[in-house]
Amino acid sequence: MDHMSQGEYQQGKKDVYRTTIILSIVTVAEVLGSIAYEHFVDGTRWPLMLFVTAMSIVKAYWIMKVFMHVGHERKGFVFTLLFPFVFLVWAIICFSAEGSHIHVMRDSLNGIFF
Amino acid sequence: MSAESKEGYQVHEWESLKGPFNASYGKVMMWYFLISDTFIFGAFLIAYATARMANVSTWPMASEVFNTLPGLTGHGYPLVFVSFMTFVLIISSVTMVRAVQEGHMMNKMGVVKFLIPTILMGLTFLGCQYLEWTHLIHEGMTMWHTPFHPAGSEIGSNQFGMFFFTITGFHGLHVITGVSINIWLLVETLKGRFEVLGNYGMVEKVGLFWHFVDLVWVYVFLAYYLL
Repeated sequence: MDHMSQGEYQQGKKDVYRTTIILSIVTVAEVLGSIAYEHFVDGTRWPLMLFVTAMSIVKAYWIMKVFMHVGHERKGFVFTLLFPFVFLVWAIICFSAEGSHIHVMRDSLNGIFF
Repeated sequence: MSAESKEGYQVHEWESLKGPFNASYGKVMMWYFLISDTFIFGAFLIAYATARMANVSTWPMASEVFNTLPGLTGHGYPLVFVSFMTFVLIISSVTMVRAVQEGHMMNKMGVVKFLIPTILMGLTFLGCQYLEWTHLIHEGMTMWHTPFHPAGSEIGSNQFGMFFFTITGFHGLHVITGVSINIWLLVETLKGRFEVLGNYGMVEKVGLFWHFVDLVWVYVFLAYYLL
């Protein structure tokens, strides 16, 4: 395995600590935002869900790019790693819709047999 | 015909010692294993999403279920303990990355210096998860029953307990595996195995697994506690 130069090493250390700060800020924002939103807003929850989902994608981006070194890998390799997530996202959307439909149908069928 | 052998290993003429994508075979293998493991966790979380959407009106609210701290009475600490657990795992990922970087510089004691806090924080996370589990079981939540949903509501929201213990349990199994492998790695580093081998690639591969464990927790935390 190739060894690093001192310059790369120092830059690497700085990148790691900078990323740690980013991740900490994002996590604190998520938790405080969650608690505050639920305290002050009674009703629609989708803006909060969108926010925390987006923040989790931000965290995944930084962890993968800096901690897992993906930012330094060959672009073709990165594509083979990221492309399967298309299927995962597709499945999340479909199965959530499925669950929602079950909910609607169950409510409408309530009282038919019992 | 065989090419130059490296340390006695016979290399076939069409075999290369370099891996694909300019990375080692081991690293690429670890990455593809992690992608497959992502789909396993993904399957669990998607099933959770389906069950939750099907029972969205009666699903227990996370900030009302997870609002205690071990050792303290009262329910005024929404999401505090689990946020602490999230921080512990993220910081353990930071120390793991530093261990990998020290490995790049062939700095044996540097690797040791950063593997130890990684292991300790992994054990801390497991201890916290143990406290969380025993507390919830004590409050009446098991695999087959959730006492937190409104009385007389759908049987479906009882699944809260089942999904919680299955998903966090499967993740906890990964943390146990990761901690065990890290302990092995620490022992091998101290024995000087990687100095003899000439590279600390193993630290990087184990590091990838550890970061995966951290990332999965970020998404379990999101799905169960925040959404």
